[in-house]
Amino acid sequence: LSRRVAVVAAVGGAACGTWLYLRSRKERELRERRQRELRALALGQGDFQLVDHRGRPRRKADFRGQWVLLYFGFTHCPDVCPDELEKLSRAVELLDGDAALPKVQPLFVTVDPERDDVEAVARYVRDFHPRLLGLTGSPEQVREVSRAYRVYASAGPKDEDGDYIVDHTIIIYLLGPDGLFLDYYNRSKTAAKIAESVRRHMETYKPLLD
Amino acid sequence: GGIMSAPTMEERKACWAARDEFWRCLDRHTEDAPRCEKLRRSFESLCPQQWVKHFDKRRDFLKYKEKLETEGFHPPETAGKS
Repeated sequence: LSRRVAVVAAVGGAACGTWLYLRSRKERELRERRQRELRALALGQGDFQLVDHRGRPRRKADFRGQWVLLYFGFTHCPDVCPDELEKLSRAVELLDGDAALPKVQPLFVTVDPERDDVEAVARYVRDFHPRLLGLTGSPEQVREVSRAYRVYASAGPKDEDGDYIVDHTIIIYLLGPDGLFLDYYNRSKTAAKIAESVRRHMETYKPLLD
Repeated sequence: GGIMSAPTMEERKACWAARDEFWRCLDRHTEDAPRCEKLRRSFESLCPQQWVKHFDKRRDFLKYKEKLETEGFHPPETAGKS
């Protein structure tokens, strides 16, 4: 009897093992296919010229070699932007906790350059992660970087105080050390999921363009 | 004229708290707005007008979604409702 049990256990174990292997291979294939699709989009090419919240000019090349988590928003945003920046900050904190990983640079780019000047952006970013860098610029410069990252942004009608809401894409973008967009995270992704995904990208990173 | 500064983090949190109190009142009194007049006024005083409009729309949407989920879809009776 014990021999029969042993045989059944061995066969069962082998079947289980095969199933697990096939499933992890499938997951890997799905991830690789998503990578290829994102690569084909090659978003975020071309330079940008913006100004950070300390008044220093910043170009895309300045972030070469760094992993970047990027969020487009505006300081007069009722709730989504603070929530997403809070989440982004938390994801960066989680990654900071692993000393083996390179430090991620969190970036905030305004989609409301008319109101969000350097001072306004400086006031805004200090409520979030200490490394969060805010970027602004002229309307043309901001339009250019929004276009490069295919970010939708549309200012609504002004009320009698001149206040308005800017409707915009709500996404956190991951940029690799070559400056190109590698992945994106929508509102439903938690900070923990984002950190997990960034970690995986860091571990499997290959430059997208030669 | 002049553009108002964006609300600070403290001001945002005060606004959200007032909104949540007002919404909790509406929940308790099943959307019977006059019962929650005081909280409505507090909400309006602590939030920029644009945010009040934004949150009102959000509330309408959430209630509509809830209705769909519990009652099923009925085509709207009046067209052109903003």
